[in-house]
Amino acid sequence: MFEQLIQSIFQADFLFIIIRITAPILFAALAAVISEKAGVANIGLEGMMMITALFGFLFAYWTQSWIIGVLGAMFVGILLGLMMGFFSFKLKTDIILSGIAVNMLGAGGTIFLLNMFTGLRGNTGALVSPNILIPTIDIPLIDKIPILGEILSGHAILTYLAFIFVFLMRIFLYRTPLGLKIRAVGENPNAASSVGVSVIKMKYIAIAMSGALAGLGGAFMSMYYSQGWNQGMVAGRGFIALAAQAMGRGEPVGAMFSSLLFGLAQAMKTKVSGLRGMASYNYLIEMIPYVVTIVGLVFYAMSIKRKARKHQLRPIK
Amino acid sequence: MRDKRMVLFGFVRGAAAIALALAVGAIFIFLSSDEPFTALRYLLIGPFVSYHGGVTAFNTQNFYQVLAAMIPTIFTGLAVCVMFSANQFNLAAESCVLVGGFVGSLIGIYVNMTTGWHAVVCVLVASVVCGLIMLIPSVLKVKLGASEMVTSLMLNFVLLYIVLHFLNYHFADRSKGATMTFPFLESAKIPSIVPGNSKLTWGFVIAIIVSLLVWIFMYRTRWGYAIRMIGINESFSLYSGMNVGGTIILSSVIGGLLSGMGGSLEVLGRYNTFVWRELPGYGWTGVTIAILAKNNPGAVPLAAFFLAYLNKGCQLMSTHSDVPSEMIDIIQAAIFLFFAAEQFLSGFRQKLVVKTTREELMRTESLTATEGE
Repeated sequence: MFEQLIQSIFQADFLFIIIRITAPILFAALAAVISEKAGVANIGLEGMMMITALFGFLFAYWTQSWIIGVLGAMFVGILLGLMMGFFSFKLKTDIILSGIAVNMLGAGGTIFLLNMFTGLRGNTGALVSPNILIPTIDIPLIDKIPILGEILSGHAILTYLAFIFVFLMRIFLYRTPLGLKIRAVGENPNAASSVGVSVIKMKYIAIAMSGALAGLGGAFMSMYYSQGWNQGMVAGRGFIALAAQAMGRGEPVGAMFSSLLFGLAQAMKTKVSGLRGMASYNYLIEMIPYVVTIVGLVFYAMSIKRKARKHQLRPIK
Repeated sequence: MRDKRMVLFGFVRGAAAIALALAVGAIFIFLSSDEPFTALRYLLIGPFVSYHGGVTAFNTQNFYQVLAAMIPTIFTGLAVCVMFSANQFNLAAESCVLVGGFVGSLIGIYVNMTTGWHAVVCVLVASVVCGLIMLIPSVLKVKLGASEMVTSLMLNFVLLYIVLHFLNYHFADRSKGATMTFPFLESAKIPSIVPGNSKLTWGFVIAIIVSLLVWIFMYRTRWGYAIRMIGINESFSLYSGMNVGGTIILSSVIGGLLSGMGGSLEVLGRYNTFVWRELPGYGWTGVTIAILAKNNPGAVPLAAFFLAYLNKGCQLMSTHSDVPSEMIDIIQAAIFLFFAAEQFLSGFRQKLVVKTTREELMRTESLTATEGE
């Protein structure tokens, strides 16, 4: 059995699958990173991805253009972010609660909206056509290299975008004035405000960007990954992304590595469940990514605590 | 004078939030439905009023069904109240209901006991198991500082798959088409308190009693005080010598106990065998209830009643008109956002405060004036 497993893991297509599975988690993890940097805990990512996935798909279907679909998903994500911001910053609803509200909209509200717009129930399988799915591209030169080409070439455009965004995000946060302001607001709002930075404005910008990134993740899910919108599609990826952000110490590159870890766990899940004799363990295999998340969080928390002890500090609560 | 006005303001504000949420729901109904008025009628008064050939009557069965639907959500509402009071955004009540139902079912199927005690043992064991489960997120939080929110969310999925594994491969009744356990022993079932098919069981009475007990615990005992104080100001509690870590763990374990109890009472009261194959959603309803009740256990049954009524209304609406029952999520989300908004109608409150203060000032002025004479 393990021979089988090892054989199927040491193949180029396994790494290809990891990258494919990681992309939507990575978008959501970056969304968590940017909002957390401004001191805003965006627990609504799960719902945001569900809603933007639906609207991305619908926009693409109505216009028969995947680009409009992706842009539409980002737009709806920004609106959702601003809505959360309005309720939390202006009306002072706890940000966790506005997040849960968005998740509720994502869970049941999307089914209602789908029915309202199209009359369909539960999924959009009937509306899928090739020109509304996000196209894949082959990278010239690299696709000629034997194994590397198989792994890196032939992904969807958004997959590459996700990994490019990791570095853009890093540059944005650490090399631009706006990024500095956002980080300042997250670290010490009073200090930021005392030098004339508008705390509320920075928080709005951060959560709107978070929404846009969640929108990209949502569009990726419905317009590439599962080829159509369905009810259980996001399956906790928004929550996993929160864990990836925490494990990645709130940094874009760290979040990328923890997202890859979850991608690996998910990919293992599909591989292991395909093996002979493992059929009756499918549910336990299904839970691997979530267990990995908890274990990862525990290790992260332990490392923080150890570091705090080394510096003779009390752990930060 | 001032207190009275503020209490009244609280009620007006809550009512306005709910009215606004229902208005949002109505807008969506008008947008999506061809028969909006039928849909609205069923949503708003459907649960209690039935029409039979033009005759309107109070529908007793529906009323009982609404009360029956409150059983699990009162428990999750209480659980979330206790945990949120300690500022613990622990969301594992959702899966604890499932685990509680599953554990209660297993004992109800495989352990043979005398009538009377069997059901009690099922419910108690289920509660204890869920209380122990809650140690995971709370101990990780207290000892390591791992976010209880993220761990509990992940735990929901982990527990779901563990239950599904055991349900499918160890305890399934293979003679049935769908995946389910063997039927419960009669002695394990929670008996109904009313005739008919409404499933209004003794679980409802227990839920009301437990709400009272949790209220007493939260407002009349030292531990309840510690829990609330930690929620209000954790640093203050720490520096005044409270056992903050232990109290946080205590609040989570109580949350687990309550959700497990709710889950087992629901499953053993409503079904003949364990049939849940996904998370039942009562944990999230519990969050809404806790928000509506403002973390006060005494108000939980009222909030649970409101949501059960709304839910029943949505179900009736989807059966009798073309609006899907998922409408409830949109209304719930809107209630959530407006009700939890501290600054909602704050301008109005400001005016009220100014007005009250002015009146008081004038009164004291006239009082001193008369004294001066």
